[in-house]
Amino acid sequence: MSTATATVTGPDAAPRRRGSRLSPPLLIAFALGAFLVLSAVRAFTGGNDLTSSGTIAAGLSAAVPIGLAGLGGLWSERAGVVNIGLEGMMILGTWGCAYLGWDHGAWAGLLFGTLLGALGGLVHAVATVTFGVDHIISGVAINIIAPGLALYLTKVTFVHYPGGGQKQSPPIGDAGSITLPFSDWLHTVEDKHWFAVSDLAGVLGGLVTRLSLVTLLAALVVLASAWILWRTAFGLRLRSCGEAPHAAESLGVNVYKYKYIAVIVSGALAGLGGAALAIAAHQFRDGQTGGRGFIGLAALIFGNWRPGALAAGAGLFGYTDAIQLRSSSAVHPLLLLMAIALALVAIWQWRTGQRAIAVVAVVIAVLAVLWYIDTDRVPDELVGTTPYVVTILVLALASQRLRMPKADGRVYRRGEET
Amino acid sequence: MRRFSSYRVAAIAGVAASAMLLTACGSDSNSTTTPGTSGSAGSSSSGAAGGSGLKIGLAYDIGGRGDKSFNDSAALGLDNAKKKYNLPDSDVKELEAAQGEAEADKEARLTQLADNGFTTIIAVGFAYADAVKAVVAKYPNVKFAIIDDNSVQAPNLADLTFAEEQGSYLVGVIAALKSTKHSVGFIGGVNVALIQKFQAGFDAGAKAADPSVKLTDKYLTQPPDFGGFNDPTKGETAANGIYDAGADVIFAAAGGSGSGVFKAAKAKGALAIGTDSDQYQSAADDVKDVVISSMLKRVDVAVEKFIDSVKDGSFKAGNTVFDLKAGGVDFATSGGKIDDIKAKVDDFKSKIIDGTITVPTK
Repeated sequence: MSTATATVTGPDAAPRRRGSRLSPPLLIAFALGAFLVLSAVRAFTGGNDLTSSGTIAAGLSAAVPIGLAGLGGLWSERAGVVNIGLEGMMILGTWGCAYLGWDHGAWAGLLFGTLLGALGGLVHAVATVTFGVDHIISGVAINIIAPGLALYLTKVTFVHYPGGGQKQSPPIGDAGSITLPFSDWLHTVEDKHWFAVSDLAGVLGGLVTRLSLVTLLAALVVLASAWILWRTAFGLRLRSCGEAPHAAESLGVNVYKYKYIAVIVSGALAGLGGAALAIAAHQFRDGQTGGRGFIGLAALIFGNWRPGALAAGAGLFGYTDAIQLRSSSAVHPLLLLMAIALALVAIWQWRTGQRAIAVVAVVIAVLAVLWYIDTDRVPDELVGTTPYVVTILVLALASQRLRMPKADGRVYRRGEET
Repeated sequence: MRRFSSYRVAAIAGVAASAMLLTACGSDSNSTTTPGTSGSAGSSSSGAAGGSGLKIGLAYDIGGRGDKSFNDSAALGLDNAKKKYNLPDSDVKELEAAQGEAEADKEARLTQLADNGFTTIIAVGFAYADAVKAVVAKYPNVKFAIIDDNSVQAPNLADLTFAEEQGSYLVGVIAALKSTKHSVGFIGGVNVALIQKFQAGFDAGAKAADPSVKLTDKYLTQPPDFGGFNDPTKGETAANGIYDAGADVIFAAAGGSGSGVFKAAKAKGALAIGTDSDQYQSAADDVKDVVISSMLKRVDVAVEKFIDSVKDGSFKAGNTVFDLKAGGVDFATSGGKIDDIKAKVDDFKSKIIDGTITVPTK
């Protein structure tokens, strides 16, 4: 993956090299270390929900809509179009999914939700690419129009059907799920609460028990996006439109066409995310997206405009959100976990010369430890903020070398290089 | 790096702007709500109506007609009154609140109703308290009612509240008697005083029926985020957490998020209790059998009685509490899942009514 990138982003290769990217073995070692720390904290604090299969499963399903929205943002921004309208396109997806989903089944709904999302993307593409409207303004407009439109359509379509209402659809059927045969055995191991072994069983159990087919589809979409954007000539051209559109133009790339494709795919993915949310909730409800499109955008920045890291960001958000929802008391051990993570960040930042950040990290880590020792539980009023706090800490302290596509957010006009 | 931060500023500005505009847009997108379909029973004979003198305006809380819960209950009361007094559609107007709207939108909604000649105005939900306070004095000839709030007093305002803790106490008894694991849970939509009242009653009732019972609680969101009343996936995740921790009955006082709790109960082979309306009737067919009871909050009774009082001139300003005795709260028995323990629950009910048991509200 890294070699392919270096060839495209020639002008930026120098600053990029400084932030030496993690090689696969290092990444595995890092993940293993994080897992062992997690196990240790779980065993030490008795906060068994930290690695329970229930938490992992809930985190995964919470991450799917966010990750898909973020992936939508990735496609669009890699082609140089900022898509702040993800939330609106997601709402179109939730409504579309319910429209066909309630009587034709979840998969028909998923398809139609994706289609409506793509339509939202098309509107954004026409406005930003053809008419050169500021990307933020167009996106905001879509975020305003979409909920109103969905609400209006709900009143027109769902009111007379059983279970439908002014602000909700009739129930949508299930999309189906798979449970691997050894999941019962994993649950048995998980319940022993052995260090590391039970934790591993919990994580695996969460992944293979009643795994929604929609989640599986989302994972495939992430892999497919990574492959298309970084391993094909099409992807190379698309990303060149986000880095240096005029250079791409001089080499014969039809920048308009690629931007159109990217933004429409972006809308489709956001719509798919919305549809996944509606299927998980078993219905469309007005306002059910609750800002997940914006969180997807945050996951995109968190992931440094790359699919793998973006998925990790969505996963982290989903995981922390699942923990705080499942059990308020499990947030307390999370303080300790946070302190350890911050201490590691501090060491790493100190060694790379970012001393100020290291000091801040240490201070927060110490405060977290003191808080942990001094209390039995985190107040309910703060528990709900867990995923946001974690996201902000990671963005502020650990990801200092974010680099957005170079021409992201700029209006492109053929032959008018400035 | 520099351009990156300007991007971020732009993004944040965009988000903020969208949030503001969304709320602004919310109010007018909702202002054209026509009376719902279930009112058709009354309108069939509406030609003969008129002269009743009642012009009723109803402002819903988030969710509106069709929320299968709180608002629908208010709608039912309105429909009943409409039928009783033979009101034509033009004498009844219903407006809805939008997700995340501004305080000014609520005020505008009430003002709009009063300005359009509606002289009996019902604000459904405590969220209207400040709006009612701002509007009530400007229209001394209009009779206002606010549901679920007693913070505003005016000579033309009836504060209609419910003894939710009493109904919750009874479903707490049901939960404890039905729990084989001696562990029950409570899921509140949003952590506000009103929902805490549900929990106080529920906890007390469960303890009364089974002193050894373990209680677990979770509120889906904290104010000012009221999304917890409208997010079934959050309800499902929280319910799974509580069931995994050993509970086998959960009382969902979470509005629209309750359907997620029922779904989790179904998947875990556990039980759940609904809120406000009889949710056994409204739950999806595949999860019906886990809804053993519901804490009934008869907003319909309150709305209808208020309209009656305006009609017959017995309007009374100030607080009226609709408790067990007044039929304002109760528990549902549809589905027949609690037939075996109904006598015990009724016993607690009569003790609350005659004052032997005092249910805590905090």
